[in-house]
Amino acid sequence: MRALCWNGVNDLRVERVPDPTILAPQDAIIKVGLSSVCGSDLHLIGGYVPTMRAGDIIGHEFLGEVVEKGPEVTRLNRGDRVITVSIIGCGKCWHCEHEEFSLCDNSNPQPAFEEMAYGHCTAGIFGYSHAFGGYAGSHAEYIRVPFADTNCFRVPEGVTDEQAVFVSDAVPTGYMAADMGNIKPGDVVAVWGCGGVGQMAMKSAFLMGAERVIGIDRFPDRLRAAQMKAGAETLDYSRVDIYDALLAMTGGRGPDVCIDAVGMEADSGAPSTKGLAIEDLYDRGKQALRLESDRPAVLRQMIQCCRKGGTLSIVGVYGGLIDKFPMGAAMNKALTFRMGQQHGQRYVKRLFEHIEKGELDPAYLLTHKWALDDAPQGYRMFKEKADDCMRVVFAP
Amino acid sequence: MTRGRDGGRRLEGSAGTLERWAAILGGTALGFAGARRGSWTLAALGGGLFLAGAAGVPLSSPLRQVALPAMRREPTTTQANVTIAVPANKLFRHWRNVRHLAALFPHLDAVEILSDTESRWKAHGPGGVPVVWNSRLDKVRENELITWHTLEGADLPHRGTVLFRPAPGGRGTEVSLTLAYHPPGGAGGDAVSRLFGAAPEQQAREALRRLKRIMEVGELPTIEGQPSGRAERGRVTAKLREVTG
Ligand SMILES: NC(=O)c1ccc[n+]([C@@H]2O[C@H](COP(=O)([O-])OP(=O)(O)OC[C@H]3O[C@@H](n4cnc5c(N)ncnc54)[C@H](O)[C@@H]3O)[C@@H](O)[C@H]2O)c1
Ligand SMILES: [Zn+2]
Ligand SMILES: [Zn+2]
Repeated sequence: MRALCWNGVNDLRVERVPDPTILAPQDAIIKVGLSSVCGSDLHLIGGYVPTMRAGDIIGHEFLGEVVEKGPEVTRLNRGDRVITVSIIGCGKCWHCEHEEFSLCDNSNPQPAFEEMAYGHCTAGIFGYSHAFGGYAGSHAEYIRVPFADTNCFRVPEGVTDEQAVFVSDAVPTGYMAADMGNIKPGDVVAVWGCGGVGQMAMKSAFLMGAERVIGIDRFPDRLRAAQMKAGAETLDYSRVDIYDALLAMTGGRGPDVCIDAVGMEADSGAPSTKGLAIEDLYDRGKQALRLESDRPAVLRQMIQCCRKGGTLSIVGVYGGLIDKFPMGAAMNKALTFRMGQQHGQRYVKRLFEHIEKGELDPAYLLTHKWALDDAPQGYRMFKEKADDCMRVVFAP
Repeated sequence: MTRGRDGGRRLEGSAGTLERWAAILGGTALGFAGARRGSWTLAALGGGLFLAGAAGVPLSSPLRQVALPAMRREPTTTQANVTIAVPANKLFRHWRNVRHLAALFPHLDAVEILSDTESRWKAHGPGGVPVVWNSRLDKVRENELITWHTLEGADLPHRGTVLFRPAPGGRGTEVSLTLAYHPPGGAGGDAVSRLFGAAPEQQAREALRRLKRIMEVGELPTIEGQPSGRAERGRVTAKLREVTG
């Protein structure tokens, strides 16, 4: 089959690889119908997530059809139209039983990496480096899904492919970001990053009763989508001082809930923002030299802006260490931090219900539908946020 | 995960990748793991040095220099702990069936029951060297504890304890595996003791992880045999291209 392989930093190629086969009794093989890019892939492509190996197939947000299943798969049938959650749960460990699927004890076949770096290993993720299991990803004609009964979900009749594909990742991630914010009536929610994840976080915040939602980014098309599709107010961080603006919008209180939908490659190139240009240079320099693995500009800004006693909900991905973390501000302002990789399996059913009722329509995230063969150019476009690309989805 | 030298199924370059991973994450991960666990390089090697040795991973180059000095701690006692969401009696029964143990310790080739309390164990050591020992059960407390020690003449003298106790809050069973190795002395044995001195920790941890996975989900997660761009280029020539390389 054809698959998109990572061959080194910024080196993606569509190659011929063998078809996947059932390797364990709880596996299923999915014929991929749609497979989306995700901001997380950019961290891999840019070389910020170690333990990639040349030849790894990437992609983790996908929809397809069950074409083969192992003898112990009971809930799925050939021909089922399914989405698969990007992060793999075993369905049986204590964490999976408690719906913390991304903390699964058993789905990562290569736990030594994470155990050394993090103290414990977490769940395997499709196409997301060997530290997270080394599973082959979905930018391919077929993909093997382990523990298929736990990770694949049939798509209801009334939900289109273009809506459903994002229920793999962007929708549950945004939804979980809002959920972790523990939003109360009257709350103002600020969301850093208006990519697919941020868009879904904004929409979800409203579904959970937020009074106002403020989206922050610098790309006009994304800010426009935040307004038109998610119903948020917006701030362009390249034009305004985010701290001043947020405080002005909230009577000096600051947002009750601050959501990070940006992650480790946050950029602060905002000449108008006090000190941030220097901060950005500092972080980029350190990251380039691998003295600091992640750039925490958004985290610092959220701590500064958040209302006293407010909540920071972090779904933007971080991999390692950060510098100059304003712990004093966080501690003295009594902030709550919630974070994690998405526990998609917990939310899928609820999300499909929202979609069926018309309360949520993630299809607008799909700005480009391309052939798999064009995936390298697709990633270039997505990385540069060119041509108003929110998410490019490949159809093999 | 590891096979013979010609099986070619080990994770090529895993040591390098791990070192890089730790380095990228900063000195902290390295120092932390190092301080807590002794020789982190070895602890981190998937499958441990014992297994790496079995797979014919050459112990030359940076690994030797980095890892070996840290390994001179004898006798070596190592403990691994895991919580398994399964009642103790099931785990105890599983462990008592020696046929199940080869799945937990992949370097184990055969266990022969000699009597109620004695058994003969055959494993393969570094470079495929046979490692053989006789073992005697000391204590067996139903659903709680098993202890054993090796008899005179063992290639790998050690004492072992596996302990099962209920975890709080319905979390299942806490399992501890303690292995105290008494590496053979003498100049010839020195190399062996170095090899075995650091590996047991990883071995014990991996064994309990396999036990947990087999008991909780009935299979070990795997990526062996999945497609990648490497297969087409051939296993031998496939090179680990580091992220920042
Ligand atoms: N936790 C999870 O399970 C999970 C799942 C999917 C994605 N993610 C992560 O979520 C993040 C967003 O994913 P995405 O697909 O939306 O990515 P994306 O690249 O499409 O969007 C990121 C957006 O952040 C904006 N941004 C950069 N710096 C900023 C700053 N200082 N302030 C405000 N905005 C800034 C960019 O302009 C961009 O629009 C990524 O880090 C991704 O890895 C996490
Ligand atoms: Zn993703
Ligand atoms: Zn699990």
